[in-house]
Amino acid sequence: MMKISEAISDLHKMDMEAGKHGWLQGIHPLPKLLVTVFFILTTVSYGKYDLAGLLKMGIYLIIGFVMGDISVKLLIKRMRAVLALVCLVGIANPLIDRKVLFQIGEFAVTGGMVSAVTLMLKGVFAVAASYLLMVTTAVEDLGYALRRLHIPKVFVTVLMLVYRYIIVLLKEIERMTDAYSLRAPGQTGLHYKVWGTMVGQLLLRSMDRAQIVYDSMMLRGYQGEFYLRCKKRAGAGDYLYAAVWVMVMLVLRYRG
Amino acid sequence: MNILEVEELSFSYGNAKEKFRNQVLNQISFHMEEQESIGLIGANGVGKSTFLKLLTGLLTMQEGRLRIAGLEMKKENLQQIRAEIGYVFQDSDSQLFMSTVYEDVAFAPRNYGKSEEETRELVMKALGQVHMDGRKDRQIYRLSGGEKKLVSIATVLAMGSKLMLLDEPSVALDPRNRRNLIRILNELPQAKIIASHDLDFVYDTCKRVVLLSEGRIAADGRGEDILTDRMLLEKHGLELPLSFSSTPKNKFLAI
Repeated sequence: MMKISEAISDLHKMDMEAGKHGWLQGIHPLPKLLVTVFFILTTVSYGKYDLAGLLKMGIYLIIGFVMGDISVKLLIKRMRAVLALVCLVGIANPLIDRKVLFQIGEFAVTGGMVSAVTLMLKGVFAVAASYLLMVTTAVEDLGYALRRLHIPKVFVTVLMLVYRYIIVLLKEIERMTDAYSLRAPGQTGLHYKVWGTMVGQLLLRSMDRAQIVYDSMMLRGYQGEFYLRCKKRAGAGDYLYAAVWVMVMLVLRYRG
Repeated sequence: MNILEVEELSFSYGNAKEKFRNQVLNQISFHMEEQESIGLIGANGVGKSTFLKLLTGLLTMQEGRLRIAGLEMKKENLQQIRAEIGYVFQDSDSQLFMSTVYEDVAFAPRNYGKSEEETRELVMKALGQVHMDGRKDRQIYRLSGGEKKLVSIATVLAMGSKLMLLDEPSVALDPRNRRNLIRILNELPQAKIIASHDLDFVYDTCKRVVLLSEGRIAADGRGEDILTDRMLLEKHGLELPLSFSSTPKNKFLAI
C-alpha cells in the first residue's frame, strides 16, 4: 500500500523539481528537448564495441545533473524498474559473441561482454537523459515543445491526458487499498479472492473520476487540444545552450 | 436583464421507453437576474446537481426551455453558453488537472483563444479576486483544501463567465476557510447559484433561496424567510440552519 502513495508522491515531487528556479529548469523546453533527442540519437549511434567512446557521452549527464541539482540516488530509486529492464537487454550477448577482444591479465574480455555493457550503458544513458528532461521541465512545457516540433496533437494530447489520469488512477488504487487494509489487519497485500472485485471497482471508480475531470475540461472550453504555451520565450542563451551541446556531442562522437 | 430563464424544465434518468424512469425534475420554472445569488437547497437526491448539469449542458435537456445569458439552450449554442457559465465542482481535486495554479487558471482563456498577454492578465485578475495571486506558481497538490477551492473558483473567474454554479462549495472546509470563502463569494459581482446542504453557508451568501423537493420547486423567496421557516424545511427533509436553531445553545447553557 505504501508503494502507491510513494508513486503518487514521486510524481508530485517530479512536478515540483521541474518547477524549481534552477539554471537548467530556466532553459526553454524546446532546446532542452532537442538536446535530449540529439543526445539519445548520438548515444545509440555508437558501435557495439565502442565502450570508451560511449563513456565520454556521460559528460552531458554529469553536467546536467550537477547544473540541475538533481539527485542520482533518486534517479536510481525512481527508475529502478526501467533500469533493471534495460540492463537485461544485453545479458545474452556474452553467450553469443565469444570473440576475444583483449586480455586483462589472465582474463579474456570477449566481444559479447563489451557489447553487453555498451548496450546496457546506452539504455541507462537514454533513461537518465529522459529523466533529466522530465525533472527539469514541466509536463505542460514538454507538451508545448513537442507541438513546436510538429508532433501530432493527438500524440501530445494523449501524453497530457495519460499523465493526468495516471495520478487519478493511482489515487483511486490508494483509497481502495487503504480502505481494504484498514479492515484486514495483519494481512499483507490483497487476498486473491477480492482481486476481481477490486479491479472491477477500480475500473468503475476511475471512469467516474475521469468523467469529472473530462467534464471540467469541457466546461472550460476544451475541444480536443491542449493549447500549451510556454511562459518563457526562447532567447539567444537557450539556443546557444542547444548549439554548444550539439557541437560537444558531435566532437565527442567523431573526434573524441 | 435575466441571466437565466428556466421554463417548465423536466428531466428523468433512463430513456423514454424504460418502464421505471426516475423523474428527477418536474416542471421547474424560475428566472434569475444578473448579479443575483440564489441558494439551491433540498434533501439528498432532489436534483440539485442534475439541475446544475442541465444548465451546463453536461446532461441533455429533455423537456422545457432554458435561456442562459440570452442564449437558448441547444447544441449550436452550447460552446457560447459554456463560455458564460463557470461550474465549480464539489471535488476540487477532480476539477484541477494541470500541475501548477497558473497553468490551471490559464487553461480556459487559452482554450478561448486569448493571447498569452491577455491570458496572463485574466489569470492574475482571477487569482487576485480570490486572494491567491501569491500562490500562482504553486503545485496544485501542495495546496490545502481551502486553497484548492479558491483556485477552482479562480479557474472559472478567468473565463469571465457571467453565471457561476457552485456545487456544495463549503464541503470539507474548516471554519476559517469557510468564512474566507463566504467573504470572497460575497465580493464577486457575478450571478451565482449555490447548491448546498450547508444552510448557514447559503444564508450567508444568497439573498434568494430556491427549495427543491420531489422534483419541484417547493419554495422560492428571500433567504431569511425560507431558511427561518422550520415547518417548511422539516416538511421537505431539511432542518433549520444551526445559527437559527436554539437547541444546541440551550443545551450548552443547561450544562
